[in-house]
Amino acid sequence: MASADSQPRFGQSVKGLLSDKVGSCSGDVIALTRQVLKGSRSQELLGQAARNMVIQEDAILHSEDSLRKMSIITTHLQYQQEAIQKK
Amino acid sequence: MAATGDEAAAMDSISREPTAVSAGLVTAASGVPQAERSDDPPETPSSAPKKPGTNSDGGVETAEEAVEPAEPDIDELCSDMFEKMAIFLQGELTATCEDYLLLENMNKLTSLKYMEMKDISVNISRNLQDLNNKYASLQPYLDQINKIEEQVSALEQAAYKLDAYSKKLEARFKKLEKR
Repeated sequence: MASADSQPRFGQSVKGLLSDKVGSCSGDVIALTRQVLKGSRSQELLGQAARNMVIQEDAILHSEDSLRKMSIITTHLQYQQEAIQKK
Repeated sequence: MAATGDEAAAMDSISREPTAVSAGLVTAASGVPQAERSDDPPETPSSAPKKPGTNSDGGVETAEEAVEPAEPDIDELCSDMFEKMAIFLQGELTATCEDYLLLENMNKLTSLKYMEMKDISVNISRNLQDLNNKYASLQPYLDQINKIEEQVSALEQAAYKLDAYSKKLEARFKKLEKR
């Protein structure tokens, strides 16, 4: 990450040197931030987690539908049992 | 000897000039308005930008320090630069934070869905247990029904046998009657 412009430039004004230095420092800070984010692998992990969640959602919906049908069947069985008991 | 005197005067002039330059720098740093400088730069010797040059008075070459005039809005530019840099870095980090928040919300919704499914499962389990208990109370009656069904089947078989025997008997009777 060291700046390539560490060599002194002769014949350049102080203002130009300062502006170059400030620009290089800013670029270094930005590159450091991006490297830290890249090293944390958060984008990859979060993307994989989101994909798994989307795949899982279909199974969850199917399971919920099955459970609701099971509850309806159980209710019908209760009605039949009460009718048998009455008779 | 005259040349020596000239050289001494030149050395004196050289020794005085850096102090004038430093005085000019101090004046600029204290925030003295330099508006006149933009209009007439060469007029005021203390505020004029001094370019690096050589002073060859008396045959002695000297170099002067290059001094840039301080801009009045440099502080504002610096603060603006740092603010924008901070906003940029914050944006870079906020993107990842937003992804985590999205994943957190998705997890919360999934947990709610699982809780609903858990409630439904608990209800189903309770209902089925009640049903099993009630069917257990009805079990003696169901056993009686099974026994009755077996006896009815046996009665039906006996009836078929009796029917067949009676038909044989009838046929033999008719045969004997014909003789």
